[in-house]
Amino acid sequence: MTSTRIFFVGGLMSYRALFGWMNPWIFIPSLLVSPVCQILLFAYIGRSAGVGDDEFYVIGNALNYAAIPCMFAMTFTIGGERFAQTLGLVLATPARRIPLFLGRSLPVILNGWFVAMFGVVVGSLLLDAHIPGSAWPLIALVVAVGSLASTGLGLVMGALNLVYRDGATMGNVLFLVLLIFTGTNVALDDLPGWMAAIGRCLPLSHAIEATRMLGDGATWGAVQGLVGTEALIGLAYVAVGLATIRLFEHLSRAGATLDQI
Amino acid sequence: MTGLGARLRQQLVCFWLQLKILMFSPFEGFLAVLFPLMFATSALLVYRVNNDPDAMLYAGIGAAAMGIWTSQTVSATTLVQRERRAGTLELVVAAPTSFSLVLLPITCAMATIGLYSVVATILWDWWVFDIALHVEDWPVFVLSILMATITIALFGFLLSVSAVRYRTSWALGAALEYPGWLLCGFVIPLDLLPDALRPVSWALAPTWAVEGMRAAAAGESAWADLAVCGAVGLAYAALAGWLGVRLINAARRDATLALS
Amino acid sequence: MTAAVEARDLRRTFTTRSGALRRTRKEVEAVKGVSFEIAPGELFGLLGPNGAGKTTTIKMLITLLIPSSGSAHVLGHDVVTDLREVRRRIGYVFGGDRGLYERLSGLDNLRYFSELYGVAPREQKKRIGELLELVGLTGREGERVEGYSRGMRQRLHIARGLLHDPDVFFLDEPSIGIDPVGARELRATIAGLRDQGKTVLLTTHYMFEADELCDRIAVIRSGEIVAEGTPTQLKGLVSAGRVLEVETYGISDDAVEAVRGIGGVRTVVVEDRGQVQVLVVSCESGAEVTQPALARLDGTRVGRVSHRDPTLEDAYVELVTR
Repeated sequence: MTSTRIFFVGGLMSYRALFGWMNPWIFIPSLLVSPVCQILLFAYIGRSAGVGDDEFYVIGNALNYAAIPCMFAMTFTIGGERFAQTLGLVLATPARRIPLFLGRSLPVILNGWFVAMFGVVVGSLLLDAHIPGSAWPLIALVVAVGSLASTGLGLVMGALNLVYRDGATMGNVLFLVLLIFTGTNVALDDLPGWMAAIGRCLPLSHAIEATRMLGDGATWGAVQGLVGTEALIGLAYVAVGLATIRLFEHLSRAGATLDQI
Repeated sequence: MTGLGARLRQQLVCFWLQLKILMFSPFEGFLAVLFPLMFATSALLVYRVNNDPDAMLYAGIGAAAMGIWTSQTVSATTLVQRERRAGTLELVVAAPTSFSLVLLPITCAMATIGLYSVVATILWDWWVFDIALHVEDWPVFVLSILMATITIALFGFLLSVSAVRYRTSWALGAALEYPGWLLCGFVIPLDLLPDALRPVSWALAPTWAVEGMRAAAAGESAWADLAVCGAVGLAYAALAGWLGVRLINAARRDATLALS
Repeated sequence: MTAAVEARDLRRTFTTRSGALRRTRKEVEAVKGVSFEIAPGELFGLLGPNGAGKTTTIKMLITLLIPSSGSAHVLGHDVVTDLREVRRRIGYVFGGDRGLYERLSGLDNLRYFSELYGVAPREQKKRIGELLELVGLTGREGERVEGYSRGMRQRLHIARGLLHDPDVFFLDEPSIGIDPVGARELRATIAGLRDQGKTVLLTTHYMFEADELCDRIAVIRSGEIVAEGTPTQLKGLVSAGRVLEVETYGISDDAVEAVRGIGGVRTVVVEDRGQVQVLVVSCESGAEVTQPALARLDGTRVGRVSHRDPTLEDAYVELVTR
């Protein structure tokens, strides 16, 4: 029962505490306007190059942008505490670590899902992308799975942030890696083999592919394999993230690394 | 002490010190170069699917200038935030040197990082995508790049002045990055954009500088483009100078300097 | 002779807004009509609790804030209109470890601000060398500021404030968070400034610091000056008499109230020192309160009883709590 409360209530409260600086003046430009601009940028590049259609870029970039809130927020839920020097206090509580950190990820996933869905909806309204009405419920589900997977990657980064202090730079670099390797703007098949191979191990690749197929009218049966793989990749990152946190917690107790900023 | 020589020396020393700050920063020194470079890469990967050498060259030239835009707009709008966080904003405002002259060398330092990113992108294009820049008129090409750098610097100067009063300007500045890449026609021909957006592109000096770069590369005359570019840049400078005095005074009246 | 600093009925209100959707505006009056004058070469202290308006007052004097009403002059120049003249002649240092470029060395920080203050190139090197020597940073100036300790940063701040050899120096809680040895050195530096004939306005929370350094002190409370004078005058102003200290063990509120009711008692404060509560009773001169006070503490365990002369801190506490 305590763990359930830590998961839901604790997660929401720590999210609110750490993101108290968030306001519409920050949220709208960075999480709503920017993804739409990224979509437009690449859709026009695609038109200019005569490669792909608008829908391809709308879906790719909208999902890719979900990585920003997912990774940064998740990193920040751990890194931000380190800056405020409250992490030591949190880790000193007897709360179980898995609900403690996973609880923090739930609002992050919701945020990422909202940003990506907003991008898909607005992008397809602005450009020539016709996504059949029946596809939307499944798209919403696949986007949620993609957000979960990105948040998993964010958890790993958050863990690294416990020992490496410049989490924001790391997050930006990873975002660029995702931009290039996950088939955001170039289908994995059109990328050089080694790049596609890396892409298949990253979050979002399979979710982007599945969403594109759904947008083209594919059925659940055709995409369930991709969605399952995406979910597995996400869970694998979550597991690695939790294990890393546990390891670093142990190391920091031995070597007092948490208190140094 | 306010002689021209002393003023010039002041600007040079401040420029050098500010460049040092930027180079040691993971954000302005590293990401501001890497970010546009990777977006240029992503754009070129799209062009690469059809592998049309003319289109690749077209995109490659413009992509090189993307970095100037980033290092200016994003860095310029975060500039004030950075000074606030360090607690130095009030100190530089309290100095007898006018605020515009404090900002100018900082903007030039950012432009230098932008210039570095141009060279890095050209080398990267050549190494990764085999785009050998075929330029007919090198002197004018280099001049166009410099014009792009200077006018974007002036635009950044205008932005940083306007941003003094707004605490969340960094978020707005980051949101300018993509629209600028799109509207200045770095990697797409402007004819593709809706007509309504055309005047916005014209009001952005880099649009003209990039046109100039392309003209010089193709061996056509770039002077008309560069003249417009310079005129638009001067307009930015005049506007920034005028706004600077007014906004700093307003910040003193409304006590927004110390906010962090 | 013109005053070095002259403030006439300075007022400053702030408008705070809160809420994202339903914006509510609230006007807060931080400084409510402050007037004082500082003579050239004087070391003037501005004391007051947190939020009393000290920093706001200083910011108006150093041109960073425009007063809502009232006027102020520094060396005869108006702080609202004569910006450059004022800025050229003043130095400003605040406490804490902000206000420096972390990624630059201490030397580069000083070079940057010398340029902004227009220190002649020829003098710069010599001046910076002297100042590094003065604040004891010689040998460390090449290191980046991010590696400096708080004390070193504070000393670098002082050096920065002195670069252009200002005539009037504003020090806003400079000793905050510095260890005792560092604070003592800082006090010596400040005293040195006064000996050089500089005018200094100092705000601090440490009473012994103000007592030791200041020629004159103004106590500010809730945006108003409640007392002004030399440290000795201030001590006399509140309690020309004496202070009675009684150690008690487990004193009740009723007993404190009872002591407060004795004729001749001006204030009673209870200070907790571990298990002991010290009853600090300041009384008017000539009033004999020891016996009545002890009588009212009947039933309370009493330890040492002593008398002493009032300190500046007693005066301060009395001024800001009354």
